Parts: sequence; structure tokens; C-alpha cells
Amino acid sequence: MSAPLPDLRPAPDAAIAAPVRKKARGRASTLRIWIPAGFLILLAFACFIWPQIYPVPKPVGGSILEAGLPPFSPGHILGTDPNGNDVLSRILYGGQVSFEVGFSVTVIGLVVGGLLGMAAGYWRGITDTSIMRVLDVLIAFPALVLALAIAEGLGPSESHVIWALAIFSIPATGRIARSATLAIREQNFMLAARLSGTRGWRVIGRHVIPNILPQLMTFALLGFGIVIILEGALSYLGLGIPLPEPSWGSMIAQGQQVLSAAPEQALIPSAFLFATVVALNLLGDGLRERWGVR
Amino acid sequence: MTSGAEPLLSVRDLVQEFVVRDYGGVKGGVVNAVSGVSFDVWPGETLGIVGETGSGKSTLARSVLQAPRPKSGAVVFRGADLVTLRGSSLLQARRHLQMVFQDPFGSLDPKWKVRDLVAEPLIAYRVGDRAARRRRVEAVLELVGLDPAGHGGRRPRELSGGQAQRVAIARALAIEPAMIICDEPVSSLDVLIQAQVLNLFEQLRAELRLSYLFIAHDLALVKQVSDRVAVMYLGKLCEVGPGEAVYRQPLHPYTRALLDSVPGAATARPAAIRGEPPSPVHPPSGCRFRTRCPRAEQRCADEEPAMRELATGHSVACHFPLVPVAEVTVRSEERIGETPR
Amino acid sequence: MNRVSTASGPLLEVENLRVSFPGRRSELRAVNGMSYSLYPQRTLAIVGESGSGKTVSCRALMGLLSQAAVVTGSARFRGVELLGLTDDEMRRHRGTNIAMVFQDPSRSLNPTMKVGNQIAEAVRVHQRVSKAEAGQQAIELLRLVHIPVPGRRFHEYPHQLSGGMRQRVMIAIALACRPKLLIADEATTALDVTTQAQIMDLLLELQAELGMTLMLISHDLGLARSCADEVIVMYAGQIVEQASTPQLFARVRMPYTQALFEAIPRLERPSHAPLPVIGGRPPDLSALPAGCRRLPRDHPAARRTRTRPPLGVLASH
Repeated sequence: MSAPLPDLRPAPDAAIAAPVRKKARGRASTLRIWIPAGFLILLAFACFIWPQIYPVPKPVGGSILEAGLPPFSPGHILGTDPNGNDVLSRILYGGQVSFEVGFSVTVIGLVVGGLLGMAAGYWRGITDTSIMRVLDVLIAFPALVLALAIAEGLGPSESHVIWALAIFSIPATGRIARSATLAIREQNFMLAARLSGTRGWRVIGRHVIPNILPQLMTFALLGFGIVIILEGALSYLGLGIPLPEPSWGSMIAQGQQVLSAAPEQALIPSAFLFATVVALNLLGDGLRERWGVR
Repeated sequence: MTSGAEPLLSVRDLVQEFVVRDYGGVKGGVVNAVSGVSFDVWPGETLGIVGETGSGKSTLARSVLQAPRPKSGAVVFRGADLVTLRGSSLLQARRHLQMVFQDPFGSLDPKWKVRDLVAEPLIAYRVGDRAARRRRVEAVLELVGLDPAGHGGRRPRELSGGQAQRVAIARALAIEPAMIICDEPVSSLDVLIQAQVLNLFEQLRAELRLSYLFIAHDLALVKQVSDRVAVMYLGKLCEVGPGEAVYRQPLHPYTRALLDSVPGAATARPAAIRGEPPSPVHPPSGCRFRTRCPRAEQRCADEEPAMRELATGHSVACHFPLVPVAEVTVRSEERIGETPR
Repeated sequence: MNRVSTASGPLLEVENLRVSFPGRRSELRAVNGMSYSLYPQRTLAIVGESGSGKTVSCRALMGLLSQAAVVTGSARFRGVELLGLTDDEMRRHRGTNIAMVFQDPSRSLNPTMKVGNQIAEAVRVHQRVSKAEAGQQAIELLRLVHIPVPGRRFHEYPHQLSGGMRQRVMIAIALACRPKLLIADEATTALDVTTQAQIMDLLLELQAELGMTLMLISHDLGLARSCADEVIVMYAGQIVEQASTPQLFARVRMPYTQALFEAIPRLERPSHAPLPVIGGRPPDLSALPAGCRRLPRDHPAARRTRTRPPLGVLASH
């Protein structure tokens, strides 16, 4: 005795996986992306755009008469440093440096390292071997020591910092790009693309890049945070952005000298550094979760 | 069989090997995936290749397409030996030979839309202008039973298995191939969807006069779809012949074992085949099936059997075929698989 | 096939089993009111396509579904209710009463553990024996499943074995404590057809030898035909047909079963014959119609004539 037959009429042709997938993402996952992203956008706005439209005190050239003011003083909401410069202003201009260095190094790494890694992973053979050996040489350079040498030899400046850190970022990104390319290289859709007649760089551009981009982007975001820390360290050592230009690292170094008397001089830039890097990491994690990168 | 004419695809002594690397990259052994396979496929014909895991059938398909190039042998497609060609001459020669894979989702770039996937070969081979390509994509999507407007803008994950496979078929059809190599094209689909897609293959074959090289592990499936059937074991062909002939009068013991293993077979099943398939790194000497063959004798270990034609179009590579040579009659009246012209 | 019948009552009695999973918008009804009885030493095959609910229903019996699953109805094993047992209670049932063999042995076996130890571990879960004793039993089990040279194979790792051997190891693990009921969930689907035949022969032989009851879950009607006493056909979480094997394959069947049957390529059919098949696909389990419906009279499968479906039907899927 069998149950009455369910309706076997052709089901309306609705998208199958799409609705379930979108809903499953849920609100929590969206928040995990937008909260850190919002913070970073706000911070970038404050560092780059706000000083253009609002008369923020200059970060340099302060008078000694205003030195060492505590936070919440009139006209200086975060106080002033031992040289009389407004702390908030130095934070904002120092933030510009952090973003600029971080962004430049990350982009150089993505473009140069990414292309080299994809070429190595796609063509294998001698291309792979030679590119990887070059990258191995680059990655063997200790970044800080190299930066030290450059700073000593050529004098400290923002662009020198960028190039020194790029020497580290290129091979790191290159390895990620190579392993991601290797992983998808054997997939049938790559073979199918080649059988369809698509060749060489076009395959890389239209098939490899879209598929490894999530992995590269999440790695790049994490790398961004690391670069900011490294820049801070270099500036702390006096090898990064030359004084009196502001940088969070050098501000921490200066604040160290007055740590017992005015701890906020060191703590405020540290807090900003910490918050920025945490936000970048959280954003990277949130995107990784959203895009299903492992 | 078919009249006069050259075979569309002619494979001779194809050999493909892979090096197995142990830990540390040391060469551990060589997998003899395909060891001297020869066959022809005629225009408008479907040749089915049936084999189990480790038989080398998928490797065979890819070697024919030069992905990667076989170690040795000849693959003559439409008069050009693909093995000797490189770069753009290979691409041009291979243009009318396309492939459909087992996993529809694996063979479609998940980031691309359906209409771009189908248009890719048109763009690569520079067929027509944008408008002409769009028309061709629409035509071919309709040919496989999809709706260009509704499905064209979707990504593979928004399709069902059957629909995704249809997209793969549409892509293969876009540049008007003469032959499509199908590597287990329906194995990952549900039974009813499988039947629909098989019907589609038949319909396309009739309408477009396509040839297929149809590879699967299911003998009934292969026979259903093919004119001639080739049975493959551990890198070599055991038996080749018209589908009905191979079914009704199998000449190779392995074919017999495959037929007996089909679940629900009408005949009472004797004991299934013994033992495990040997490793393709160390295949048995002589006849590779001898370790599991109930009829094996010393000669089978000493001498590798050559492929001999025992009936019209029906060949076997065995020293002791199931039907003695003298008893096989030439069935001239039973020309299964003759392509209607 | 085992034709021994028994008057001692059913081994497994399932009544109105329902399983649903809460989804974002609507719940997914995987099993929709399933009822059947399984008598001792019989072989039951549950056949259906993907999404029919066959696997979910058996995992519900074994308590293997996620916490989110909502299971209602009743499933009594020798009178003891299986649904709603605690983890501990269920663990006692698993192995000694009911055991399960899964589809892909490479995923179910621990790649870092010798196969012999995995079997011995299963033995020690339910019996208080020493490691040595469990090892002995493991070797015995390897012999039972016809693995040659069991003493040596004991020390091998899963990757050193072929697919068929790994499945035999899985069966050995399942048999470690002589279960009364063995559920084989697509146990041979991933195997070659010759290996499949070997494994099925093994299962039937073990059934006869150990007096087990066997439940085979598969999409393959042919397998059901050659190995099972009774067949249940499922569609969209419901049983659409339930009959003894000879009955099912002798007479005219329900349209869905008929469609399944005819869609399978068969050796006897001539080459290039089109397969008679209906349109449509497995239904969206979150949008099932409430209650039951009869096939409309003009539906292709409702008619008994076997006409070739129009090519337009293909467009639906």
C-alpha cells in the first residue's frame, strides 16, 4: 500500500542554491565586515580629508610655550607634545603616513608579487624555478636590517621605507599567489578554458585572477596591518619618517622619554596603532569568512 | 560499419606515463596509465570506452587532446597528427575536437556567467563579431534545452547538476565540433536527469551528425549510447566491437566479468571476479588481466596477446578468447552501428 | 537473498517518521511521514534519488543528525524507542544493535591510524577486553570480510589499501560487535562495478552467516532487484512504493518507480534507443505542498502509454 504520489509536474525553474546561500550569511557576518571597515573608513577620512576642510593646528612648528599641555586643554583636545605640537594633529598626519606606507607596500606586493607568483604557478617548469629562487633571495633579507641599511646609506624617508618593506611584501604575496594558482591549476575548468582555445595570459587574467583574488585580498589586508607595525617600528628606531614629521612610531619613541610624567604621550599613538591593526585583522577575517577562503 | 572515407580520429600506439614521486621528490615509480592503445572513430559514429578505476580511460581522453602530450604514439584528427603540433597550429587542428567532463561544476569557472562560458571558445577562435557571437550563444543554449534569457546571466552555483552539464555541452558545441569526447558525462547526475542528458546527447548526435568518444565505467550505459564498444583494462584495450556483439558474444574474459557484475542482470550471476586490480606501477607481465583471469595459463604470463579480429569489426586481445577462433561466424547480416547516411 | 520469515515480530518498526531542518525562510522537510516494518534476517532496500530523504531517515534512526534537526514520529528497535535517546543510550545501541557502513571509505577511515587498530578500537568500545584480545578479534574480522593475509593487513594504513579493501575494513568495523541490523548507506556507490559485486556478495554472505538484518540504501534499482527481499521507493521524503522485490519487478508500478526503472540504461536495450523519461527534477524540499496530491490526469507519467517525451520536456531541467 503506497502513499499518494506527490506532484511530479516540472517544478518552476527557480534558482536553486542562490536564496539559501544569501540568507545563510546572516547579520552577524555582515557586521563583522562593516564594523571594522567603518572604523577604518572613518579613520582614513579623519586623517586625509578632515585636515583639508577644518583648520587643524599644524603638526609641526609648535611653540614651546604650549608644550606639555594635558588632554582636554582648550584648543588641544589631546594635549600637546613636549615640543608644543598638537597631539591630535600629529596623530592625524601620522595616520596619513601609516596609511600611505601600508597601502603602497601592499599594492606593490600585490601587483609585482602577485604577477610573479601567478606566472610561476601557472607555467611551472623553469619559469617557476627561476622566479621562486629570486623570491627566496628577497625573502631571506631581514626587512628591518635592510631598512636600517637603506636608512643609514640613503637617509631616512617615507619612500625608502616603502621600498624596504616592499622587498619583504613581494615574495610573501608571491608565495601565496603561487600556491593559490597551483591549487586551481589542476581544476577541470582550467583545462576546459585551454581546450576552448584561451591561451596564456588571458587564462591567467580571466580565470586565475578572479578565482584567487579572495585569497590574495584577505592576505593583503593582514599584510597591511603588519606593514603599519613595521613602519611604526622603523620610525620608532629613527629609521623611518624623519623628525619632525609625525609618525605614530616616532611619537611613541618621544612619549617613552616622558613616560612617567605624561604617559598619554606614548599611550595615545599606541592606542591608535593597536586599533588600526586590530580593525584590519578583523576585516580580513570577516572577508575570509564571507568569501570562504581557507 | 561505415562506408569508405577516412576515420575522423585515428589513434595509434598511444602511450602515457606518469612519474610517481616519493617523499623528497625522489622518483618512486612510473604509472603506466596508457600502454599502447590504438583505435579509430569514424564520422558520425560513437565509440564507447568502458573501464573501471585505474583502467586509464580518463588519461586516454586527455592524452588524445594533448593535455598533456602523450609520451609516444600518434593521434590523427582530421588528417593532422596532434602529437606533432605545437602552439597555435595545435589549437587550430584541435578546434573541432571538444570535451565534456564528469563533474559539471568542476568544469565551469565558478566566477563566470553562463553566457560568457559558452562564448569563450568563440572568442578564443575569433568567430564572428560580438553580435554574431551573441546570436550563436543563444542558439546553442536553446539547442541544449536552456533558456538564454533566464539562464544566460546565472553563475554555475545557481544551476542544478543537469543544467550545469547542459552548459558544458553548449560550450562544447559552440564552435561546431566534429567530435566530442565525453568523460563520464552523466556519472554525477541523478538517474532521471541522467536519462534526460543522455537523450540530449542522442538528439544532438542525430541533428548535428556528431561523433562521440564516450567514456564511462557503466557497461550498459556505454552500450546504450555507442555504436562500437571498447573495453579497457589497466592501460590496454581488451576487446573492441559492435555494441550488440560485445554484449551477446563477449570474447574477452574481462568483458564477461563486467557483464556478470552488472547488478540486476537478467542472467543468474556466477561468482564475481576475484582479487584486486594490480597496481599500474607494476603491471603483470604478458597479459595484464591474467592475475584475475579464470582461464590464465603460462602463455599469458610469457607473451602479451595482440589484438586480433575474430569477426567483422570485432577484435580481442586474448590468447584464449571465450569463443574459439574457429567457431566465430562472420555476422554480415548483423551490421550493428552502421551509421545511416 | 534470504527467505526466512519469522513470527517473532518486526526488528525495526518505523511509524510516521518526519525530519525537518529549519531554514532561513522556511523549513526543509527532508522526511515527510515514513512508515515501514523490517523483519529479522530480511534485506530491505530503500531506493531514491538525491534529496529523497533516504539517507536522512537512516541517520535519524542512528541518532547521527545535527542538533538542528527536528525529528518526530517513532522508530522502535525490538520495542525500544530510538528517537529521542540521549547520546549515551544511543551509543549503546550503535555497534551492538545497529551498525552503519558509509559511502566513501576514504573519508570514514582515520588516515593516520592502522586499519587493525581502528577495528580493535571499535571492538573495545562495546566489550571490556584487553588490547591484545581486541587485536585478535580484529584479525578475525579481517578474515571474516575476506581480506587475504589479515595478520599483515592489520598493520597497514588506509591509503595502502584499494577502495574495495577499504570498504571491507569499514564493514569489519561495523561488524565488530555483531550488530543485529546493518545499514549500508550507498556503500558500493563509489566502487567499481566488479568490486561492487564482490562487496554485495560479501554482505549477503555475512547476513546468512551471522543472521543479520540488512538495510541497503541506494539510488540503484538494479542493486535492489538482485539483493533485496523488499524495496521501498522514496521521493521527496515520502514512500511512494513499498513491495517485496518479486512483486515490484513483476507488475505495473507506480509512475515514479516506473520512471526510475525505465531511465536506467540496460544491456538488453538496443543502441541509441531514447530513454523514456519525464520532466521535472527532485522537488524543492522547502516548498512542498501541504498534504498529498494525485497526479493530474494529463501528466505524461499518469498515462500508461509509452510515448517518446516531446523534446520540449527536456527544457525544464
